[in-house]
Amino acid sequence: MRKGFIFSHNKCVNCGACSAACILENGWSIQPRMIFTYNSEELPSLPLTNLSLACNHCETPVCLNGCPTASYYREPFTGAVIIDEKKCIGCKYCQWNCPYDAPKFNADKRIIGKCNLCYSGLIEGRLPACTTACPTGALEYGELSEPILENIPSWFPDKNLNPAIVLKGKQNNDPLRIIPENVFESEVPILNAKERGMSGEWSLFAFSFLTTLSVATIISSFINGIFPEKILFVSIIILAGIISLFHLGKRLRAWRALANVKSSPLSREIALFIIYSVVSFFAVFFQLPGFFIASSIVGLILLIVIDSVYIYADKRKSVIMHSGQTFLSALLIVSFFTGIVLPFIFIALIKLAASAYSLSVNKINNINFVIRFVRIALLLVTGVSLVSEISYPDPVISSIFLTGELIDRIIFYIDFAPVNINTEIIKQINIERNEKKRG
Amino acid sequence: MEEFVTACPRNCYSSCSFRVQVENNKIRRILPYSGNLATPEGPCIKGLSSIERTHSPERIIYPLIKTVQGSFQQITINEALDIISYKLNSVREKYGPKSILWYKGSGMSGLTNEIGYSFWRAFGGTTITYGNLCWPAGLEAVRLTLGSVKHNVPWDLKNAKTIIIWGKNPAETNIQEIAFIAGAKENGSKIIVIDPLRTPTADKADILFSPKSGTDAALALAIAWVLIKDDLIDLNFIEKHVKGFNEFRQSLLISPDEAEKITGIPAGNIIELAYIIGKEGPVTILPGYGLQRHLNGGQTIRSILSLSVLTGNIGKPGSGFNYANLQSYIYDNIKEPLSYYPDPEKDLPFRRTISMAKLGRDMFNTNDPELKAAWIERGNPLLQSPDTNSVKKAFSGLEFKVVVEQFMTDTAAIADIILPAKDMFEQSDILGSYWSPYVQFKPKVIQSPGDVMPESEIYFHLAKRLNLNIGTNLIPEPGNENIEEWLDNRIKGYSELNLDDLKEGPVLAPGLQQIAFEDLKFETPSGKIELCSSEAQSIWGVSPLPDYTPHDPGTGDELYPLVFVTPNTGSRIHSQFGNLKIIKETVQEPAVGISPGDAAKRNIYSGHKIRVFNQTGEIISVARISNRIPAGLVVLPNGIWYNEGGGGNYLITGRETDMGYGAAFHDNTVEVERVD
Repeated sequence: MRKGFIFSHNKCVNCGACSAACILENGWSIQPRMIFTYNSEELPSLPLTNLSLACNHCETPVCLNGCPTASYYREPFTGAVIIDEKKCIGCKYCQWNCPYDAPKFNADKRIIGKCNLCYSGLIEGRLPACTTACPTGALEYGELSEPILENIPSWFPDKNLNPAIVLKGKQNNDPLRIIPENVFESEVPILNAKERGMSGEWSLFAFSFLTTLSVATIISSFINGIFPEKILFVSIIILAGIISLFHLGKRLRAWRALANVKSSPLSREIALFIIYSVVSFFAVFFQLPGFFIASSIVGLILLIVIDSVYIYADKRKSVIMHSGQTFLSALLIVSFFTGIVLPFIFIALIKLAASAYSLSVNKINNINFVIRFVRIALLLVTGVSLVSEISYPDPVISSIFLTGELIDRIIFYIDFAPVNINTEIIKQINIERNEKKRG
Repeated sequence: MEEFVTACPRNCYSSCSFRVQVENNKIRRILPYSGNLATPEGPCIKGLSSIERTHSPERIIYPLIKTVQGSFQQITINEALDIISYKLNSVREKYGPKSILWYKGSGMSGLTNEIGYSFWRAFGGTTITYGNLCWPAGLEAVRLTLGSVKHNVPWDLKNAKTIIIWGKNPAETNIQEIAFIAGAKENGSKIIVIDPLRTPTADKADILFSPKSGTDAALALAIAWVLIKDDLIDLNFIEKHVKGFNEFRQSLLISPDEAEKITGIPAGNIIELAYIIGKEGPVTILPGYGLQRHLNGGQTIRSILSLSVLTGNIGKPGSGFNYANLQSYIYDNIKEPLSYYPDPEKDLPFRRTISMAKLGRDMFNTNDPELKAAWIERGNPLLQSPDTNSVKKAFSGLEFKVVVEQFMTDTAAIADIILPAKDMFEQSDILGSYWSPYVQFKPKVIQSPGDVMPESEIYFHLAKRLNLNIGTNLIPEPGNENIEEWLDNRIKGYSELNLDDLKEGPVLAPGLQQIAFEDLKFETPSGKIELCSSEAQSIWGVSPLPDYTPHDPGTGDELYPLVFVTPNTGSRIHSQFGNLKIIKETVQEPAVGISPGDAAKRNIYSGHKIRVFNQTGEIISVARISNRIPAGLVVLPNGIWYNEGGGGNYLITGRETDMGYGAAFHDNTVEVERVD
C-alpha cells in the first residue's frame, strides 16, 4: 500500500518541533517543513487550522516533470521525490509548479532544496524525523489507508497531483466560541495575496519580450522583404540569452537546462531558443530565404513553448488566454510592422477581449488599474493611427505601440499566479470574511 | 551508535522520557520513548534542540575571569578553583559565611542538586532565598485545601467528560497534554478554556471564556454561588469529606451579575458554565500557574479548587484539580511548597532573609552581615527576577560573584568568574516530575567538553581546597561512577526502586495513586478537605475562606493604563533555549503583543520599534499586533533576553503573592509608545 504523511490538525498546535527535527536531522540551511496556518491573523469570526507541510512526494510530481535540468528523481525504495543539489541551477521553476511550497530556494547555495523523506533512514527502518518528533502525534508517517483527498479544507491546493498525504479528522468549519463575544477585535486590514509582480521576474520578462520582438522582426522581414539591421538583430538575441541567465541561481551550470527536453517545457524553451538563435543568425547574416522560412517557423514554435512554460504552472483560463502571451503579441507586432491593417484589427480585438477578461477575474488595485488603462489606451491610439494610415515606420506610433506591448507583458507577469498554498489560504480567508460580512 | 533512555531535566510539567543516540561523543539524535505513558510521542522543540545546545559553539566550556577592563579572559579550571576558594575563604573570614548569597535557579532538576547543600553547610552556611518565582501560591492553596499536592495520572484525562483548562496553556507549556485533551475531545468530552488570552490551547477548545486578568477568583466564586443556589453540588460528598461548607456558603456574596461587572463575562454565561461543571461530570480542572502569579493568587486557586470540591470531583477517574502532582518527589524530606520556607531552626546554618519575589531590595536590606559575595547556579536572576534594575544594582554592589553557566546570559555577564556548567547529557542523575508520575534516571552519555565540571565536582574540589571535612556520602569523589553510587545510596530506602531498573526506563513512583485521593484521605489538620482553613489565616493572614480581592495593578494607573503580563512561551523554559539557532530559525521571533485597538490608538503597527515603560523601568522592543490579546493587555513572554527585545522584569515590581511567598508578576501596568 502507498505510504505517506498522515496529519491530524486537531492535535497540531504549531509548536515547530517537526520543522526543527527536519533541520536537526538533515542539517539544512533551509526550512523544508513549515506549519501553515489557516487564519494566522486569528480573526475571531473564522476557524483556525494548522497544517504541517513539507513535500508530499506526489504521484504526479510536477516539480520533477517540469525541472529543465532533470535534477529531480524518484527514489525507488521509498518513493521519495528527491532533488540532486549538484544538478540544480536554481531556476525556481519547480517553485511555480509545486502548489505545496515544498521546493525552498537556498539563498546561500543559490539552489533549491527540499524534503527528502529522510529516505536513507527510511530504508534502514527509521521514520522521517518530523513524524518521530511530533510531540502530540499530529504528524505521522504510514500507510495511507483512507482516500487520499477526502476531508480536505477548501484552501488545500489540488492540482490532481495525488499527493501522499492524508488529512485526518473532521475539518472545523466553525469559529471558536468566545465569551464575551467581542472581546477580541477583528479590525485588521484586508489581506492581499502576495502578488508575484515583476520584482522577481524582470529577467524573464526581458528575455521573453526581446524574443517576441526578434521573432516578429524575422517574420515581418520574410513577409515584406525588408531585412533587419544585422548587428542590432544579433545583439538583441544575445542580450536576451544573457539576460535570461540572471534568473538562475547557478549561471555556470546553465547548460544543464537542456537535460529534460523530454518532459520539461522550460527545457524545451531553452533548446528551441538555441535552435532559433542559430537559424535566424544564418537568415539575417546570409539573407537566405530558406532560413527565413525556417527561423519564422521555429520562432513561432518557440513562442508557443514560452507560453506553455507559464501555462504548465498556471492553468487558469485567464493565463492561457492572456493578452500578454508572447505568441499573440508576436502576431500583432508582425501585422503592425508589415502594415497589414485587417489582421491587426482582428488580433487587437482579441487582445482587448482578453484584457477585459483578465480584468474581470483578477483582483485589481489602483496602480494595477492605471497600468491596464494605459495599455488599452496605447493599443487604441495605435489602431486609430493605423486605420488613418499613419503607420510604421513612424517612430512616434511605433514607440506608442511597442510600449503598449511591453506593458502588456508586464501585466502578464502581474496576473500570472500559480496555485500555491500561501495564496490559497489568503484567498479563502477573504472569501469567508466577505461571506460573513454579507451574512 | 549507542542508544540510551534518558529524561529531560528542565523545569517543565512534562519531564519527557526520550531515547538519545550517541556517536563519537556527539548527541546524534533524540527519539521518543513510548514506555513513558505521559510522553509517549517524545519531547517538544526545546527538548529536541538539546542536540544543538550541548554542542553549541557559543557554549562556555572554559572558566572565564573578568579583567580590570571588564572583558572576560579564559583561565584553567584549577586557576579558577584556586581563586574562588581564596576569595570565598577571605570573605568568610572577614564578614562571616552568611555574607555570601547562594542563589539557585531551576535550570536543571535532579537529585544531585542536593550536593550543594552539603558543601555550603560544611562551609558554615550562607544566606539563601525563600519562596519561589513560579508556583508556590497555588501549591500552598492546594496544600491548605487537600493536605497534599497531587492529581490523577495524565492519561486519566480520557475519563473526563468536561475538561476545564483554567489559565493554563499546555499547547506551549505542557504540549504532551494536548494529545490527551485532543483525544478526549474526539471522544466527545467538552473542552473549555478560561484565559484572558486566546492561547493556542484555546484554539483546541469548544468554548473560550476570556475574563479580565486577575479576576478569576470572582468568576469561580460566582460559579460556586450558582452551584449552591441551583443545587448542583454533591451534598453527600461534602457532608462526608469537606470541612467548612456552611461557612463557605455563607461567605458567597458574588452573584453572576456582580461577577459580570468584575470579570466581563456575562452573567448568563457564568450560569451556563456553572451548569456544565455541575451537570457534565466528571470534570477535571487544569489550572495553570499564571493565574496565581497575582497578589490574590493563592486565594484565586482556592476559589477555583472549591468548584471541584463542591461537585465531588475529587478522588475519582476523570475528575480532579490538576495543579501539580508531586507524587514522584519521593526523596524530599519536606515537600514543596513548605521547603521554600522551612523552620529557621531546622534550616541552620542557612539564613533566609531574601524573598525570591523581592530579590534586589532584600539583598540591599540584608544586614548583619551584609551581603558581600554571591554564588549563582542554574539561574538567571538578572533576567528572571522582578524589578531588574534593583537586582542589577544589588549584584553589582557585591565584591565577588561566581556564576555557573552554559551561555553568556545577562547574569553570567556580571560575574567575576564564570564556571562552565554541565549539560544534561554529561552527568547521571535521578529526576521526579510535577505532572507525570514517574521517577526517571538520566544517564551520563557523553564526556563534557573543555573544562566543564558538574557542580558536584566543583564542590568536591573546593571542599578540598578549603579543608572542609565532608564525607563522600555527602559529596562524592569526581567520576560518574561515584555519582551513580551516590544516587544508588540515595534511593536505598525504596525497595521498589533500584538503579538498574531505572536505567531501563522510567518507573512509576512508589506508592503512586493513579487516581489521586481515591482513598479520600486528606492530610489536612481536620483530615477533611478544608474549604475553611484556619491555617490560611494563621500562616498567611488571609481569610480562612477563599475570597476575591480586586487585584492592585500598581501605582499610576492613568499614566500606565495597560496591564502587563509575561506568560511562558512554547520555545523557551524561562530564559533557556531562546538563544539557540534552531529555535530562532523555526519559531516566530519574540515581540510585545498588543491588541489591534490599543495599537491603533498609539499609531503602532506590527514590526514597529516600541518603548514599554512604567514607574519601575523601561525596555525597547518590537510590537506585534495580535487578535489573541484583548484590549487593555500587553503581553511579553518571560525569558526573552534583554538584547532581543525582552527583559519584561524591568517593568515588574517585586511583590509577594498572598501565600507561599510567590512573585506577583502579573499585577503591573505599563504604557507603550512608538520609537521612531
